[in-house]
Amino acid sequence: MPDAKQLFEQYYDALLRSAQDPDMALGLFRSVSAYRERKARALERFPHTVELAEEVRKLKRECLGRLDELVEKASASLKENGAQVYYASKAQDALKIIGQIVGSGKVVLSGKTLTGEELGLRQYLEGLSNEFWETDIAQFIQQLREEKPMHYVYPSLHVTREEVAKLLSKLLGREIPPDIPTEVRAIREFLRGKYFQADFGISGGNVVAADTGTIFLLESEGNIRMLTNVSPVHIALVGIEKVVPTIEDAFKVAEVTWRYAGFSVPLYVSLISGPSGTADIENTLVHGSSGPVELHVIFLDNGRSELAKDPILKEALTCIKCGSCLFECPIYQIAAGYYGGHAYFGGVGAILTAHVGGSLVEAAPIAYTCLKCGRCTELCPQQIDLSQLIPELRRRIANAAKSK
Amino acid sequence: MKSLRPYTPPALRLLSSNIARSGNPLGLKKSECAAWASDLHLPSQGTTILYTGCEYQMTSYLRPLVEVLKRVKFKDTLFSTFSAGGKLGIGLMKAYTKVTSQESEQYNRILRMAALNLRKLGIDFAYLEEELYSGALLYEYGLFEDFEQQAKRVARQFEEAGVRKIIALSPHSAEAFQQIYPKFISTFDLEVVPYVCVVAEALNKRGLKLALPKALSLTIHDPCHLARSLKVTEEPRKILQSIANLDLRETALNRELTNCCGAPCDTVFPELSQIAATKRAEELAATGAQAAVTLCPFCHSHLRRGVELAGKKLEIVDFIEVLHQALEVGRA
Repeated sequence: MPDAKQLFEQYYDALLRSAQDPDMALGLFRSVSAYRERKARALERFPHTVELAEEVRKLKRECLGRLDELVEKASASLKENGAQVYYASKAQDALKIIGQIVGSGKVVLSGKTLTGEELGLRQYLEGLSNEFWETDIAQFIQQLREEKPMHYVYPSLHVTREEVAKLLSKLLGREIPPDIPTEVRAIREFLRGKYFQADFGISGGNVVAADTGTIFLLESEGNIRMLTNVSPVHIALVGIEKVVPTIEDAFKVAEVTWRYAGFSVPLYVSLISGPSGTADIENTLVHGSSGPVELHVIFLDNGRSELAKDPILKEALTCIKCGSCLFECPIYQIAAGYYGGHAYFGGVGAILTAHVGGSLVEAAPIAYTCLKCGRCTELCPQQIDLSQLIPELRRRIANAAKSK
Repeated sequence: MKSLRPYTPPALRLLSSNIARSGNPLGLKKSECAAWASDLHLPSQGTTILYTGCEYQMTSYLRPLVEVLKRVKFKDTLFSTFSAGGKLGIGLMKAYTKVTSQESEQYNRILRMAALNLRKLGIDFAYLEEELYSGALLYEYGLFEDFEQQAKRVARQFEEAGVRKIIALSPHSAEAFQQIYPKFISTFDLEVVPYVCVVAEALNKRGLKLALPKALSLTIHDPCHLARSLKVTEEPRKILQSIANLDLRETALNRELTNCCGAPCDTVFPELSQIAATKRAEELAATGAQAAVTLCPFCHSHLRRGVELAGKKLEIVDFIEVLHQALEVGRA
């Protein structure tokens, strides 16, 4: 058990250092302003989203009561489609499964998976002597900066174009100017070289339909589409709370997610239900035509099924990770992801850090940072009521410690 | 005390032990809490009370407390010796003595105005001189058992005094009585009305004309708990808009989307809390108004800090003060 004083001090030092960094303040300011405009435009163009969010709210709450059944159904559907399916109870189990699939000395590409952050997947696979690249531009920047992500949808929202230019110049060994289009082109060229060397492509999943086994992946960059298609083997790491009953439900969750994340339209939505296959020769099915030969889907529990049974805190599991709460949080606007745990941020992040892949102790300083001001709840598509959840989490932190 | 709740920040343990010992988070004496009412001759018994919860009274002591906490940081040992007069205890006593009578008088003045406003509006009310703090902070900090104890003490006091209706001066206590007490005490059924709502109702009935002596441009900072938990956003606006010579301007983030002043984490993460206050002060100042009005003692004191840190020329005033002036100048 770490010492409380140390725990709070380390957390607060990192948080304050970043809060007092003028570059980060500028990056955050630009990102928050841009997000507000984009989201307003998105909701104006698609006003039905607000009502749809209400529907999704009910749906996600219902699903929490039947996670086992939904995951079982999704697994059966995926197997039927030719995928290999695993259930990982703990982080270690998931890492072991992926480690066994990947082995060592391989090239692994990953596309924005929060569950990967939860597990420390990059560090784990690099530790097995694999070459690992994040392909989402924000996560790619974050990988170059060797820091933790700062947001679910925009992990590098605090980094200025000037800083990106420095990082790229160093990586590529030539001068890249602080011009956003030039920077994006340089990253594109670099990653394009990697896609066709990849042995494995790892993705998360924004939502999964149990009836068809379809994994929904939302993006704009095309990186997820590339890596889940070009890599011979696609591994999808999905939290069990992501499963909904039908593909129709999944579309609803997906649409609400991208809209509240600030997108009118996501440029790409991939629907993946199995490895590629063909029956074009004598109507005999063979897996592995142009797309991946294998699809491995790992359903990750890591505390989720316990949390889903919690009468109060379970609400945090209905979070769809649009990140709207973060942009609108007065503390997040100052401290970005330093107001959070290793994978999950802000008030909801405090609850997830406590119960999903973290600990009450890791969550303690985060829980006491929340202002409980309620601004996030007003803007949350799921209306997660932190004014109820945070005192309850703090109660547990106080009591758990008491019994030690 | 040291071994108890090691992951609850020491500052919160200090505040909670103060509540248990002296009935309020900063350990003020009952006489200090009631000093504002000394020359008002308010009835000490009645079915309707004006409840201050010692909150305005403690506001001027918050800043010196936070300054001490900044030095102490998360060190536990100093707190464990607090009650025995350890380093922090001595530090705090020194810091408290730095609070000038002028500073604490400023908030006592607001309290007196609050009572005089009600009188002027023809509202009968009593004031319990021995009133206790609601305990709301204990709930927020997750110290539910301590909260329940305090709530029971408070409820018993109300019952013994025959209270049926509470005019709650701060959103903090209005929310506690209205929304949290009934969850812990099933029989708690007192009528709880935020101060501004009582005023709004009385003004409606009496049709008073309100005016300021000279032109003032004013923006409004909605306190989080008032706007979001209690859903009170239009009452203050309606009143302020009816005041002659007052130009009301909105900030970009207003009503239920108001931005927090940062005060809630002031005792645990003071520097962070002050950055939040600075940012909110800048938002308020961006309206170009001469002053910003708020309806919560903690917002009031914290935003003043924010304005200083932001280097802005913006006066932070309490709704009670504006109303007081407007009632003086206005007429029936």
